[in-house]
Amino acid sequence: MGAAGRWVARTLLAAGAWLLLSGSEADGYRWNLPAWVPPPAVPADNPMTVAKVELGRHLFYDVRLSADSSMSCASCHHQDKAFTDGKALSVGVTGERGVRSAMSLANVAYLPTLTWSNPQLNALEVQALIPLFGEHPVEMGMAGREAELFARLQADPTYQRLFARAFAAEARQGPAALYSLSTLTKALGAFQRSLVSFDSPYDRYQYGNQPWAISTSARRGEALFFGEKMECYHCHGGFNFTDNIQHSRLPIAERGFHNTGLYNVDGRGSYPADNPGIVEFTGEDSDRGRFRTPSLRNVAVTAPYMHDGSVATLEDVIRDHYARAGRSTAAHGAPSPMRSAFVMGFEVSDAEVADLVAFLNSLTDPRLLTDARWSNPWPAGSAANASGAP
Amino acid sequence: MKRFALSLGLIGALAACSTTTPGGAVGQQAVQLRFAAEVNGQPFACGQQYPAIGTTRSTITPADFRYYVSEVQLLTADGQAVPLQLEQDGVWQLENIALLDFEDGTGPCRNGTAGLNTTVRGRVPAGAYTGVRFTLGIPFERNHGDPTVSPAPLNSTAMFWNWQGGYKFLKFDTSTGGNTPDTPAAAGPQGPVTRYSVHLGSTVCAAASRTTAPSACQNPNRVTVAFNRFDLAQHTIVADIGRVLAAANVDVNAPKTSPGCMSFPGDADCPPVMDALGLAYDGRPAAGAQQLFGLR
Repeated sequence: MGAAGRWVARTLLAAGAWLLLSGSEADGYRWNLPAWVPPPAVPADNPMTVAKVELGRHLFYDVRLSADSSMSCASCHHQDKAFTDGKALSVGVTGERGVRSAMSLANVAYLPTLTWSNPQLNALEVQALIPLFGEHPVEMGMAGREAELFARLQADPTYQRLFARAFAAEARQGPAALYSLSTLTKALGAFQRSLVSFDSPYDRYQYGNQPWAISTSARRGEALFFGEKMECYHCHGGFNFTDNIQHSRLPIAERGFHNTGLYNVDGRGSYPADNPGIVEFTGEDSDRGRFRTPSLRNVAVTAPYMHDGSVATLEDVIRDHYARAGRSTAAHGAPSPMRSAFVMGFEVSDAEVADLVAFLNSLTDPRLLTDARWSNPWPAGSAANASGAP
Repeated sequence: MKRFALSLGLIGALAACSTTTPGGAVGQQAVQLRFAAEVNGQPFACGQQYPAIGTTRSTITPADFRYYVSEVQLLTADGQAVPLQLEQDGVWQLENIALLDFEDGTGPCRNGTAGLNTTVRGRVPAGAYTGVRFTLGIPFERNHGDPTVSPAPLNSTAMFWNWQGGYKFLKFDTSTGGNTPDTPAAAGPQGPVTRYSVHLGSTVCAAASRTTAPSACQNPNRVTVAFNRFDLAQHTIVADIGRVLAAANVDVNAPKTSPGCMSFPGDADCPPVMDALGLAYDGRPAAGAQQLFGLR
């Protein structure tokens, strides 16, 4: 190493030390996005940093975030299923079953509304409180036990290091500021925002100048998807395949909530009382049965489908639900009056179903499902992985 | 957002007072064109009920009203057309295209946006202008790009129509008091409900695939609007959807067609709507001048 090399090394070392001390508010976090993808919009009070994402990743995979150390965030959000859990409904630490299906976290940074059913829930930092502390249903069961939670984190040398790196300013204010709901939820939010997914065969076909990245069947399916017979793209449009979108180049976020006619319990288009749609939050009659449009990225690995996981396969979604102008049409002999105007029903052949499914399969991003950056960071045998009561 | 729009208007008004530069050369004149959306003379509002619509005198409850205008020109008394150079605001205006947005995302406009935009803002060489001309729609060369990577206002998923047809030039959605076999009645407090839309866009634009741009469209469906007696200071350009629906039956939908008229050929719901927009449709020549826009 010459003099210049030594100088560079010293400078880098100094810079590294400065980052450690200063809280690394700008530690060079990179999204690793293809050039065509606009970077996500990030809340001003929670900028992305490598240190915060790494802390959030450890928290995400840590069962000590649940009351009996049996569940982590990852219990309902498996990487190999695009961060869903493969179940219709998830079960919390007390055995209570939730009412809606765990949503994929892929590209969650691009969603202005985060959950199926609550239009007001638009910050990941707030959303994290619901599985952690919610009591209806109980998920991770930590309601009223945050002091215990912070004590668990503070006792772990790995967290002592990770929290201090990610939140240096808070570290200077003492342990109560460093191990807090604010830092916990910011780190979880930052990790979830890092889960970007734009490397599917369809992306390579559409944006990567690789016309043969998807099969001819998938190309026929694309034509059906973007066609006026099936009308899929009206709600599942845009680069994230949903009409809910926010990003750094979009001045005004867009939201979309729709009733697809899945249920019609009263002939007026209502949904079951325990899962009535966003009307639960808005109180508006016209919002009965409306839920937020999910992204269709990675949809092939996120079965079962719909807000309550009540449809097993993509073929069933197409044939038994959308082709019939909503599944409830069969029971009532007429489509739901509350359903979206785009759910018109259509005749579909077996070959067309296969083509459309081939297209949907081409939206699966293998990197999201396997990239080690988003996998469980804890070594085997760690308390973070322990199952059952500690 | 409302306040933002108002202060922009104020800046426009102040700027308009000074039409010459200190050097005495002929300067630029700031122009703000006011637009409005109405239903049979009543201001458009999300969720408001409007009676006496169309041939069945139905009651409608709108859920969206947005449209693009482009190629805005001011006309001088001697017939010169001067392009309005739009302020590039990064939100509503891009190149010579502007999105006008009258829905505020409330009530049945749930799937809309909070922001409103009711003016088109730009500059022309200072002068006396007595007319205005614009296009309802987006120029062909900008209409078929990739909406997922375009700048605002060409990246709205709500206004993105389909890859071949480009954007919805006009998007009006409503529920109506109607009842048909296709859209059966809901016995709600407001009576039965059906849905009706007017989505104007280019059609029959053949392309290599559903997601590549076409080279031309058989039915561009752009509407050229001109007012030869136009007072910049006094007039508001009013789009009244009631006039477009006057000869339509908003309580029915032709079987196996899009709800209302979405511009596609072969939709029996479209002729009265396209007539009122002053457009040829499905082999029929244009019936006359457009009825959507007027001055107030």
